[in-house]
Amino acid sequence: MNQISIRRALVAAALLGSVAVAPLAMAQDYDANATIRIGSLYEPQNLDNTAGAGQGINEAFNGNVYEALFQLTDAGTVEPKLVDSYTNSEDGLTYTFKLKSGVTFHSGDPLTAADVKYSIERVTAEASKSSRKKSLSTITGIETPDDQTVVITLSARSISLPYNLSYVWIVNDKATDITATEDGTGPYTLGEWRRGSALALNRNDKYWGTAATNGEVIYTYFTDATALNNALLTNAVDVITSVQSPDSLAQFSGNPAYKVTEGASTTKEILAYNDRVAPFDNVKVRKALARATDKAKLLNSIWGDYGTLIGSFVPPTDPWYVDLTGVDPYDVESAKALLAEAGYPDGFEFTLDTPDYDPHPIVAQFLQAEYAKVGVKVNINIITANEWYTKIYQEKNFQATLQEHVNHRDIVFYGNPDFYWGYNNPEVVKLIADSEAAATIDEQTAKLTEANKLIAEDAASNWLYLYPQIVVSAANVSGYPVNGLNSQFFAYGIQKAK
Amino acid sequence: MRRPRSILTYLLRRFAILLLSLLIAAVVLFVLLRLLPGDPANALLGVGATEAQIAAARTQVGSDQPLLTQFVSFVGNLARFDLGTSFVSKASVLGEIGNRLSVTVPLTILGFLLAIAIALPLGIIAAVKADRWYGAAISIVSQLGIAIPVFWLGILIVTIFAINLRLFPSGGFPLKGWTSFGEAAVALALPVLTVALVIAASLLRYVRSATQDVIGSDYIRTARALGSGFTEALLRHGVRNGAVPVISILGIELATTFLGAVVVEKVFALPGLGSMLLLAIQQRDYPNVQGVLFISTLLVLLIGFAADLLQRFIDPRLRGRAGAP
Amino acid sequence: MRAVAASAPRSRGSATLWLGLLLVGLHVAVALLTLVWTPYDPTALTGGRLAPPSWEHWAGTDRLGRDFFTQIMIGSRIALIVGISAVAIGGLIGVTLGVLAAFATRLLDDALAATLDILIAFPTLLIAMLVVAASDTASLGTAILALGIALSAIVARLTRILAKRVLLMDYITAARTSGTSRIGVVFQHVLPNIWPTLSVNFALQFGLAVIAEASLSYLGLGAPPPNASWGRLLQEAQGTVYTAPIGAIAPGIALVSLVIGVNLLADGLRDIGDPTRRASR
Repeated sequence: MNQISIRRALVAAALLGSVAVAPLAMAQDYDANATIRIGSLYEPQNLDNTAGAGQGINEAFNGNVYEALFQLTDAGTVEPKLVDSYTNSEDGLTYTFKLKSGVTFHSGDPLTAADVKYSIERVTAEASKSSRKKSLSTITGIETPDDQTVVITLSARSISLPYNLSYVWIVNDKATDITATEDGTGPYTLGEWRRGSALALNRNDKYWGTAATNGEVIYTYFTDATALNNALLTNAVDVITSVQSPDSLAQFSGNPAYKVTEGASTTKEILAYNDRVAPFDNVKVRKALARATDKAKLLNSIWGDYGTLIGSFVPPTDPWYVDLTGVDPYDVESAKALLAEAGYPDGFEFTLDTPDYDPHPIVAQFLQAEYAKVGVKVNINIITANEWYTKIYQEKNFQATLQEHVNHRDIVFYGNPDFYWGYNNPEVVKLIADSEAAATIDEQTAKLTEANKLIAEDAASNWLYLYPQIVVSAANVSGYPVNGLNSQFFAYGIQKAK
Repeated sequence: MRRPRSILTYLLRRFAILLLSLLIAAVVLFVLLRLLPGDPANALLGVGATEAQIAAARTQVGSDQPLLTQFVSFVGNLARFDLGTSFVSKASVLGEIGNRLSVTVPLTILGFLLAIAIALPLGIIAAVKADRWYGAAISIVSQLGIAIPVFWLGILIVTIFAINLRLFPSGGFPLKGWTSFGEAAVALALPVLTVALVIAASLLRYVRSATQDVIGSDYIRTARALGSGFTEALLRHGVRNGAVPVISILGIELATTFLGAVVVEKVFALPGLGSMLLLAIQQRDYPNVQGVLFISTLLVLLIGFAADLLQRFIDPRLRGRAGAP
Repeated sequence: MRAVAASAPRSRGSATLWLGLLLVGLHVAVALLTLVWTPYDPTALTGGRLAPPSWEHWAGTDRLGRDFFTQIMIGSRIALIVGISAVAIGGLIGVTLGVLAAFATRLLDDALAATLDILIAFPTLLIAMLVVAASDTASLGTAILALGIALSAIVARLTRILAKRVLLMDYITAARTSGTSRIGVVFQHVLPNIWPTLSVNFALQFGLAVIAEASLSYLGLGAPPPNASWGRLLQEAQGTVYTAPIGAIAPGIALVSLVIGVNLLADGLRDIGDPTRRASR
C-alpha cells in the first residue's frame, strides 16, 4: 500500500514516444466551480517534500500547489514550466535558465532567481530527506546574475538535469517552515487540511497560467483499498488515483456509472536477492529461481487479467525497453539442473523479508509453494515498511526481499553497487555512468539498452511482474491523469459535467 | 468496614489515588517506550545520516542522558502537558490529539449511550421474562454479540447499510469536521452503531444479572407483599439498588469503548485517536505514541474517578468506604 | 415453554453446558484431525483463482488457488493454540502476581492494585499492540506472548481479590499458627479454594484472546503467514469480499462458534459450581 519511493538518479530527459494517452472527453459542458473529490491511499505526513512527507505529497502538490523549472507531464515528456528558455554550454557543464516573467507566489511575492537558488539548495541541504538529493549531487554552483537568470554549473555532464529539476519545487525564499503551510506558484492554494482524513486545494484565481477547470479539489485518504473502493461505490469520492486489486474492479467495469482507465504503469514487483551473499552471489542460483517462478500464474493470482509480464527492471514505456521475458522462461527442469550445477542439487533454504502490506505477503506464499518444487525452502519473515527501510535499505542485512519500485527510468539503480541489492557488474556500472554523460539521447538509449540486456542475462533480481496502473472515476468526471508517473496527479484539468 | 469518613476526606483520598495512578502510568509508559526497538533518534533522521547527525539527534531527543534524568524530564514535560512535536508530521502532538478527540470522544459517548439504551431495557426484560421465548432469545443474541470481533461486525455493517442499502457513508469524516454538522453526524452513524452493539452485548449480561439479584432480594418481595405491582416495585426500589454494581461496570466499559475505538476507526477510516496511535506505532513516531497513550490514560483514570464518585453518591452504604478496590 | 418454566433454570444450565461442550469438542476434534489429515495440502496451489464452493473445494479457493476449507480447519488448531497458550501465560503471571499482592503489606498491595487497575483500564488489544510493536519481527509466538501479558492483569486482579477473601478465613489463621509455611498455605488452601472461580474466568479469557488475535491480524500486527489464523484469513479476504464473499464470512462463523462454545462452557461450569445462581453473567 504505502509504496516506498526509492527514487534517485534518473537518467534522461528523453521524450517518451508511445506513452501519451489521449485526454478524455472534452467537449462537455462542465461546471467550472465544481468540487473534485479524489480518493487516495497515500496520505502525506507533512507538507514538505524534503522533510519525509512520503509519496502522497507529490500526488497532492506536484504541479498543483508547487511548480518546478520543468514538468514531467503525464505523457512522460519533460517540458519547461517556470523556465522560459535555457541553453547548455558546449562541454555540457553550464546550464543557463531564463525564468518566465509575471509569475507570483501565493503570498503575492514575485518569482525571482533567488527563489530558484533557495529551492534547489533546500533539496541538496544536509538536513534534507529528499530522495532526489543524490541525483543533484553533480551541481557545483548556482549563480543568479539577475532576477530572471539562473546559471547552474556541474562537475560532470548530466543529460537528465532538466528531468531531475522537475522534482524540485520552487518555493518562495521567504517561506521558512513549510511542513504545515505552503507558498508555491501553482494553480491551487492549500485549503483546509485534516490529518488522517483529507486535504483541500482551492483554485488560485491569480494564477499566472491557464486557470484550473474546477473550483476545489479534496484529496480524501484511506488506509485500506476496500474502504477506498467503498467510498467510490457510495459516491463519497469522484475518482481514485490507483486501484490496488482486480476484485474491486469487478464492481466498476461494465457499470455505466463508472469509467475504468488502464494507463501506462512503471511499478514493478520484484524479488530482490542480496547479490553479495551466498547463494545469491551465484548467477546460476539466481537464474534457477527465475526459471522456477511461474510468473504468469503469479500475475493472474494477484491481478486477474490485468498487469504485464516483464523480463527485466524496465517497463515497456522506457526507450531502452526490449522484450527479455525469454531469457529465463518458466522451466522447472532447467531450474533443477542449474541448481545442481551451482552445487545445490538438494536445494537450499533462505529467509524472505516480506513487507507486511499487500501484495507482498501473498506473493511470498506463492514463491514458497513454487520453490518447494525445486527443493528450495523459503522462510517468510514479515516486517513493517519502517523495518524494511532500516534493515534492508540502510543496513543491507538480508538474504532476499520483496519490494515494489514505483518510478520509471530507475534501471540506474543497477549501476550503483552500494544499492541495497548489491548487484555489482563493472560493465553495467560503466554503461550507466556513461549514459548519464551522453551527449545525445540516442547515445543514452543505446547504452541503457545494453545495460538492460546485461542485468537480465545476470538475473540480477527476479522481476516478477509490472503492476497495472488503473484509475477509476465516476462517469461524469474527466480530464484526470491516467499514468500517474512518479506518483503525480495533476488535478487542474479535471472537469465535472454539470 | 473502615471507619466512616467525611465527604471531604474521601474526595482528598480519592484525588491522591488519582495522582498516584497517574505517576504509575507515567512509569509504565516510560518503561514501555524504552522497550520499543531502536534508538528514537533514528526515527528522526532519514537514510544515510552521519554520526554527527545521529549524535545531534540524540541530544535533541535526550536519549544520550542517564535514564533517571530522562525520567525526571519526561514526568516534568507530562505534568506541563508539553507533549512535544511529532517526528514525522512535525506538528504539535497535543494540538493533533485535540483534533482527533473531536472524533473519538463523540464516537465513544454516542456509542456508549446507545449501548445503554439497548442494554438496559433488553437486560431487564431478559431477566424478568427469562421464561418467555423473547427473554431467552435476548440472552442468546447477547452471547453472539460477545463472541463477534468488532472489526468483522463493522465490515458486515458497512456491507449491509452502506454498500447494499446506501443509507449511510461507508467511512471517512468531513474535512471541516463538526462545522459541517449534518455530514459529521451522518459519518458517525455506522461507527456508533458498531461500537454500541458490541458494548451493549456485554453490558446486557451485567444488567440482566443485576436485575436477577434485585428480583430475588427481600425488599422487592416485601414491596410486593405490601401490595405494589411488580413493575412499580422494580422501578421504585430495584433501579436504585441495581444501579450500583452496574455503574462500576459502566466506568470500565466506557474506558474500554474509548480505547477500543482503534479498530472501529480503522474499519470506518475515521481520523480519530486510534488511527493516530496505529500510524504512530507503525512509523515509530515516539512523541505521538507517548502523547496518545498519556492522554488516553488520563481520560480513562478520570472516567474511573467520576464513576467512583457517582457510585458513592448513589449508594449510601458506600459512603464510609474509600475509593480504591 | 410455559410448562417447563418451573424447572427452567436447571435444564437450561445443563443445555448451556452441553451446547458449549459440543461446539468446543467439534473444534478440538477438527484441530486434532488437521495434525494427521487435511483435505488438501494447505500450501498447495490446487485450484483456480477464487474458485466458488464446489464438491472439490467445499469453501472454494483463495487468490492463490489454495483450498479454503483446509485453511479454516487449520484455523481451529491455531485458535486453540493461541487461546490455550495465551491463557496459560496470562494465568501463570497473573496468579503469581495476584497471590503475591494478597500477601503483600498494605502499601505495596495498594500500589500493585492501582497498577493493575491502570493496566486493566487498557483493553487487551492495546497492550498487545504495544508488545507486538516492541518486538522486531512479527510471529505467532509474539502475538501469543502479547495476549498473555495483556490477560495477566485481569487474572492478577481477580486472583488478588479471591485470595484475600480466602486468607481472611479462620482455618487459614489456624493453619498459619500451626506452622504451615506461606508457600504451603498457597498450595494447600488458597489455590484449591480459588481454582473453581479462576477456571471459569480462564474460559472467558480464552474467548477474549481468540478475538484479540483476530483483531491484531486485522490491524496487520498478528500472526504472519503461513499461519492460517482466522483473523488473517478475514483480513486477506476483505479485498475480495464482493467477488468471493464466502472467504469473508466462513472464518468469521468458525471464530464466533468457538468463542460462543467456550463462553457457554464457562457459564455451564459456573452453574455447576454455584447452583444457587442461574445461567447468568
